[in-house]
Amino acid sequence: MEPLQRIVCDWCGGQSPPGATTCTTCGAPLNVKNLVSDSGWREAPRLRDMSEMKFGNSTCQVEGEIVPVADINLGAGDSIFFEHHVMLWKDESVRMDVMPLQGGIKRALAGMPFVVSIASGPGRVAFSRDANGELVILPLHPGMEMDVREHAFLLCSHTIEYSYTRIQGLRNILFGGQGMFIDRFVSRSAPGLLILHGYGNVFERRLAPGESILLEPGALLYKDASVVMNVETQKLTTGFFGGVGMNLVRMTGPGRLGIQSMYHHHHTE
Amino acid sequence: MSSAPTPSPTPNSPGNVAGAHTYHCRWCGAASDASSLSCPKCGAPIDVQTAVTTDSGWNELPPIRDMAKIQFGQSFCQIEGKYVPVADFKLAVGNGIYFTHHILLWKDEQVQISAMPMAGGWKRMFAGMPLVMTQAAGPGRIAFSKDAPGELIALPLNPGQSVDVREHVFMVATHEISYDWFQTGMWFVTGSGNERETHYPLGMFMDRFTATSAPGLLLLHGQGNVFVRTLAEGEHIMIKPTALLYKDPHVRMHLHLEYPGGNTNFTWWGNWSNRFVWLRLHGPGRVAVQSHFPPMEDPGRQIQSIEPLSTRQQW
Repeated sequence: MEPLQRIVCDWCGGQSPPGATTCTTCGAPLNVKNLVSDSGWREAPRLRDMSEMKFGNSTCQVEGEIVPVADINLGAGDSIFFEHHVMLWKDESVRMDVMPLQGGIKRALAGMPFVVSIASGPGRVAFSRDANGELVILPLHPGMEMDVREHAFLLCSHTIEYSYTRIQGLRNILFGGQGMFIDRFVSRSAPGLLILHGYGNVFERRLAPGESILLEPGALLYKDASVVMNVETQKLTTGFFGGVGMNLVRMTGPGRLGIQSMYHHHHTE
Repeated sequence: MSSAPTPSPTPNSPGNVAGAHTYHCRWCGAASDASSLSCPKCGAPIDVQTAVTTDSGWNELPPIRDMAKIQFGQSFCQIEGKYVPVADFKLAVGNGIYFTHHILLWKDEQVQISAMPMAGGWKRMFAGMPLVMTQAAGPGRIAFSKDAPGELIALPLNPGQSVDVREHVFMVATHEISYDWFQTGMWFVTGSGNERETHYPLGMFMDRFTATSAPGLLLLHGQGNVFVRTLAEGEHIMIKPTALLYKDPHVRMHLHLEYPGGNTNFTWWGNWSNRFVWLRLHGPGRVAVQSHFPPMEDPGRQIQSIEPLSTRQQW
């Protein structure tokens, strides 16, 4: 009996059959070397046009490269949830519902999406954000917790639990660039797929325990829940009105950290 | 004062190979051993397929390869990403850079940042130019990106070379390059009395960067795609003022107004006139434009006065 051979994806750890050129779990090209800068940032895999990946009984095809579209073919019994204003088109057969959310008033006041919609299969539905950038495919395995900056989330499979967490500390809320809340996605018992949209290019690095880096506040795209965030202000003395302050966020490991290179804050409302 | 090196891409020639192992970059002219895929001084690809010249004579900026490295002094700059590229600097001890506000993406803890002293703060503030220029000193890593899709332009400057840059285009320069600014002189006035308004289609000021005694590196950001051409002596071209990225100091400029259908004023609309406001550039020297340029504010009201070198054309 021949040993079962599989190709392991460097980005998500998923396994694909021999001969596959893209990862069946996250769509990352398998026959292209990783682009890692000398400083240790890894570029998010540049998804090939028309790459396809699977989750549950459904598939997702990524179409286009400048403002990519996530085209989902939902299997019967599968569903996804998504933020307002990102749905591009859908089949008539796809059923739409609204996800019940706690703390609606708080969310509305914090500028976060008040309504999160659910689309259920069978049928096709497609999504895109209104800015150029990259789709980041993050398969979540049971036990993983991921924090995502508000309005970066595009869609998520129903097996993943969605909540939000209040950013700790007034200074972090006021100057952290994330607002009052940050989205939290938790995979409890079954694996699922989380798709984000990063503005510009997306880079990721793994911080070791205690390792830290200073970020422009608007650059944060996602992080493991274990990564701690704290705002620091650096005073730049100009002799003009006493100088100005530059706010940077110190991210301290352990965990994954994803950033976007076009970090201007885009409101969806 | 001389101008920055003039790129002269030749689509079908593999650069200037002076010796068996010496390659002269088609873009910046720097010599290298051609052992890497891109020029170590400006990041331009060595591959001849990347040299594109339009039929109209514009040279497309060679896109810097993802992860290409540029060396200056003992330090390096690595360009990462394609849509909104990041300039990731590894600063050596004793090397320093300065940069404009709101472009810092991340930095190591050990990189020291401070404000760079600048003259004319009031004027700069009123002109909408950045009031604070920040400087960073090695050793350590620090990275920058602009919040718009486009291209990074690496301009190595040799001692005595200068380049004029439109406001808000500059990203980073090494300490060997001095920074100055000057009034563009491109203005026109509309309205009268309380409605009198002075317009600066090119901005009130332009930045001037000069390598004084040692070579240095200047990094700019162009929105969309970037195109460069070298104007011959006496040659001129008209461009939208907000599309200008940079030019050699020798290139003269003035405003040019075109009135399609004659200088027709709709007095019942408050003297609105249909016109195009152009920036006319005169060679010799190099000019660069960006394909994604912000719309120019022109209320269309009749022009009361305009900079003295301006010209008009009625069709």
